[in-house]
Amino acid sequence: MMSQDSKSNGNCTGVSRARYGYWPWFWGVVVPLILTLLDWLFRQWLTSSNILMFDLLGVFFVAIRFGFWPSILASLINAASFAFFFAPPIFSFAIADRENLAGLAVTILVGAVTSKLAQTIRFQKREAEQREHRASALYRLSKELAEAQLESEIVEIGVRHVYSEFGSRNTLLFPDHNGLIGYPGEPPLEISLQGADLDRAQSAFQKGQITGYGTDPVANVTALYVPLNGSTGPLGVLALEAVDLPQISAPEQRQLLDTFLNQIVHTLERARLAEQAQDATLKIEAETLRNSLLSSISHDLRTPLATIVTAATTLEADGERLDDAHRKKLVAAISEEAQRMSDLTTKILAMARLEAGEVVLNRQWYAPEEIIGSALRRLDKRLKGRSINLNMKDGQALIYVDAVLLQQVLVNLLDNADKYSPAGLPIDIELQTTPLGLFISIVDRGAGVPDSMQQKIFNKFFRVHAETAQSGVGLGLSICRSIVEAHGGMIEMSNRDGGGAVFKLRLPIPEHAPTITPEERG
Amino acid sequence: MIQPAPLLLVVEDDPQFRQLLNTTLEAQDYSVFATANGRDGLIAARNRQPSLLILDLGLPDMDGQDVIRRLRKWSDMPIIVLSARNQENDITQALDNGADDYLIKPFNAAELVSRIKALLRRIARMPGGSQEFLHVGELKIELTKRRVFVGVEEIHLTPIEFRLLCVLARNAGLVVTHRQLLEKVWGPSFVEHSHYLRIYMGQLRHKIEADPARPRYLLTEAGIGYRLCDEVF
Repeated sequence: MMSQDSKSNGNCTGVSRARYGYWPWFWGVVVPLILTLLDWLFRQWLTSSNILMFDLLGVFFVAIRFGFWPSILASLINAASFAFFFAPPIFSFAIADRENLAGLAVTILVGAVTSKLAQTIRFQKREAEQREHRASALYRLSKELAEAQLESEIVEIGVRHVYSEFGSRNTLLFPDHNGLIGYPGEPPLEISLQGADLDRAQSAFQKGQITGYGTDPVANVTALYVPLNGSTGPLGVLALEAVDLPQISAPEQRQLLDTFLNQIVHTLERARLAEQAQDATLKIEAETLRNSLLSSISHDLRTPLATIVTAATTLEADGERLDDAHRKKLVAAISEEAQRMSDLTTKILAMARLEAGEVVLNRQWYAPEEIIGSALRRLDKRLKGRSINLNMKDGQALIYVDAVLLQQVLVNLLDNADKYSPAGLPIDIELQTTPLGLFISIVDRGAGVPDSMQQKIFNKFFRVHAETAQSGVGLGLSICRSIVEAHGGMIEMSNRDGGGAVFKLRLPIPEHAPTITPEERG
Repeated sequence: MIQPAPLLLVVEDDPQFRQLLNTTLEAQDYSVFATANGRDGLIAARNRQPSLLILDLGLPDMDGQDVIRRLRKWSDMPIIVLSARNQENDITQALDNGADDYLIKPFNAAELVSRIKALLRRIARMPGGSQEFLHVGELKIELTKRRVFVGVEEIHLTPIEFRLLCVLARNAGLVVTHRQLLEKVWGPSFVEHSHYLRIYMGQLRHKIEADPARPRYLLTEAGIGYRLCDEVF
């Protein structure tokens, strides 16, 4: 009923007919007849002026409920029945009494005036209702649009609201990068208009003018193409099926449609701007990352290279003149720095591979004890003179991991523990099986990490003390995080009570670890 | 009693690195013949009958894997492959194709020399047929009598544990891939059941090693295989 209401445009009979059919006329006849009957039944108690008053009441009622012209009809029937049944001579349309004649004339006049007033009030009320309806339709649209983020959401909301407000299937069409209007990539909604005329849409888009139904001399055009005019030119076209012309062409409705489209266009522009802004931010971030990568790499690779080149050229030029001890020092420097460079390039390449998504996990069943053991062996030389406390009750329970990558995680963590805690202090490795998964903790007794930095240390190129003698680009922990997350686990860092860092990684334990049948003693 | 120095064949395409290997190995009293590509390497392997091949997997003219496969059709000569990091799959494939050991570039020259020595020792052992026993540090394995000692204490192993240890002992100092171990200990139908290997290796370590989490004898080569260390420092 509401949407029917909204399309009315002030034509009383048109509205009445549209609203009730012939019912108003029916009541315009029936109400005076009922009153006549009542008057007839109670005629001995009623004077003729009473009867006229009652009739006036009926006319007034019809005017309020059923409009102006039915009330005029009622008024005329009343007049006729009054003349016929009540005004002497009874059963004749003649009226002998002048008083009755004057009363009837006044009654008709008063009925006409009040009907007219009632009609005006009705129109005002309806207009107010329509305004309120439009305002609330607009409000609902803006509310939904305000929450929309993606372009596809905005389009969907727009199509749905246009449909529910105007009752027309419709669709929003946008140009591709060549400026050609085409159908959107998303599957159409149930209420989407399909089979829109893309040529007409294109011309509406290019001219920025409404084309199609009602503007086009060709008879079989069934849709209206309304350009979506944005602040910098048309963004697209609304194709609207013309099911009911008055519904769309009435001025208020056209205004409402324009307001709808404005809302949609603004939201689209907002979404596009936000997207552009985000792209720009990402680009800046990538740029910053690249710059810090380059400065890190150039610093961290050049420093050992400088040592190597200097030591090697010294040996080349003055090798014979140096004594054995000096030569050995130079050679040791070359070997150490070359090793450092090698570690560094390995890490950079590993990170690049992980970032590029090139790494495919080669998962197999392993005992954590074995992986920890092989990580410790890789660091044998570095960890000399440091006691490692192993607490591995569940070291034999199988986990499903890529052993090479997990070993890399442990090597990086142990290497850090060694680098950032005073020589000679022990490192603890603890293994704990819980319902949440397997926890591996690596605990050192160094300075720990300030609370504010505990999240950041897993970021690429982050170092707690950026310019220190400690070599490294700040990639080790971000490699660890990438690997652990690829396994569906997580890694976190906290400080140990009494000083030191705790790196704890959690790995999921699959439900169905394989078992083997125990071997018969032979 | 002067034996001729063993001849080592080096196939490496980078001239600088080839030259360096030459120098390093000649300093260890080996004689070295070096080629820059696979084709020349295969010809030299046939004509010169070297004692051992050091093969870079990335060659300009043919895949290093092909060199191994072709060589293995007619020769048992030990092969050490050289590879870059992050190529565990290539290494495993090379080992399964018949290479005997591997080194990841960059490597320590001393490491290369010790691998060469381990391989040449194994050839020297071979002619006598089956080897009697292996002695590494505290660990003593009597292969024919099927007995294992750590120090003076005899260790009781299950048949599978012993077979596993045996395969590693016969290749002492060399890496044995997961696939090779599964095939030799459990049989060809078990090559995909790697968890057997992990569980038995764990058991074996708990019986033999003083600290199973920091093994001295049974070493893990992550992603590739196991190695029974033949020199304990």
